[in-house]
Amino acid sequence: MTGLWQSLVGKMMPSPGGIDCAEVMAQLYEYIDGELDDEKIERIRGHLEKCQRCYPRYNFEAAFLRFLKQQGRTKAPPELQRKIFKAILEEESRG
Amino acid sequence: MSRQPASKREHFEREALVHLDTLYNVALRLTGNASDAEDLVQDTVTKAYRSWDKYEPGTNCRAWLVTILRNTFINQFRRESRRPSKVEFEAVQEINVFEAIKDRDPEGTFFRFIVDEEVKRAIQDLPEEFRLPVVLSDVEGLSYAEIAEILDLPVGTVKSRLFRGRRRLQQRLYDYALEMGYIRS
Repeated sequence: MTGLWQSLVGKMMPSPGGIDCAEVMAQLYEYIDGELDDEKIERIRGHLEKCQRCYPRYNFEAAFLRFLKQQGRTKAPPELQRKIFKAILEEESRG
Repeated sequence: MSRQPASKREHFEREALVHLDTLYNVALRLTGNASDAEDLVQDTVTKAYRSWDKYEPGTNCRAWLVTILRNTFINQFRRESRRPSKVEFEAVQEINVFEAIKDRDPEGTFFRFIVDEEVKRAIQDLPEEFRLPVVLSDVEGLSYAEIAEILDLPVGTVKSRLFRGRRRLQQRLYDYALEMGYIRS
C-alpha cells in the first residue's frame, strides 16, 4: 500500500530539487559527509528542504553521525605522549 | 641572534605529533586494547621519524602516518593475534534502523542515552573490514579519498564498506537501546 501511494505521489508531484527520493537516499551519506560537488549538494539540499519523506531520514542519519563523532574518540594518554617525546629525543641524539 | 632552522625533530613534532590522538584511536580500534595500542603507536611514531625524509612536506601527513600504523599492525600484531581477522561479510542481516524506529523516535534521541563505552565496544565488535572505514571517517573525519589511500582500496569499496559498517553499528546500538529500555518496544 505504501509503495503504491509513494509511486502515485511520485507521479503527481515533481521531484523537489529536480532529483527523486531514491537518488537522494542513495547519496545521503555522501551528502552528509561532504563528498559531493556543489551542484549535487544544491539539488539534494533543495530536495530535503521540501520533501517530507526524505528530510526525517536525513535528520536521523545526521544525528547518528554527530553522535558517533562525539562518543567514539579517545585521547592519547599523557603517559604515552611523554614516552613518545622521549623516544624521539633519543632517536635524535642517536642521529 | 639569528634563529636556527627547525631541526628534523622540531619539524616532526610540529607536523606529525599533532596527530597522536588519531593514531591512538585507530590503534585502539585495531588492537582492541590500550596496552597493544600504545605499543603500536610507539612503533609507528619511531618508524615515521626514521623515514621522515620520505615524507613530502605539504602532503597529507595524517594519512601518511595512519598508513604506517596500519602496515605496522599487519606486520607485527596480526601475526600474533588469535582473533580471526576475516568475518563473513554476508552473514548478518542488515535492517534499516530508521524504518524500524521512525514512528517512535524519528530524531534518534535514543542515541543520547548510550554511554560512550558501549559505542566504543560496538565499534570494536565490527568486522575489521567495516571498522577501519568507520573509525577513519566517522570518528576521525577523514575523506573517502584519504581512507582509500590508507587502506589501498578503490573509493567505491570504501564507500560501500563505510555504509554497511554504519548500518551494522546503528543496528547494534538500536538493539542495545531496546534492551536497556531507551526505546519503547
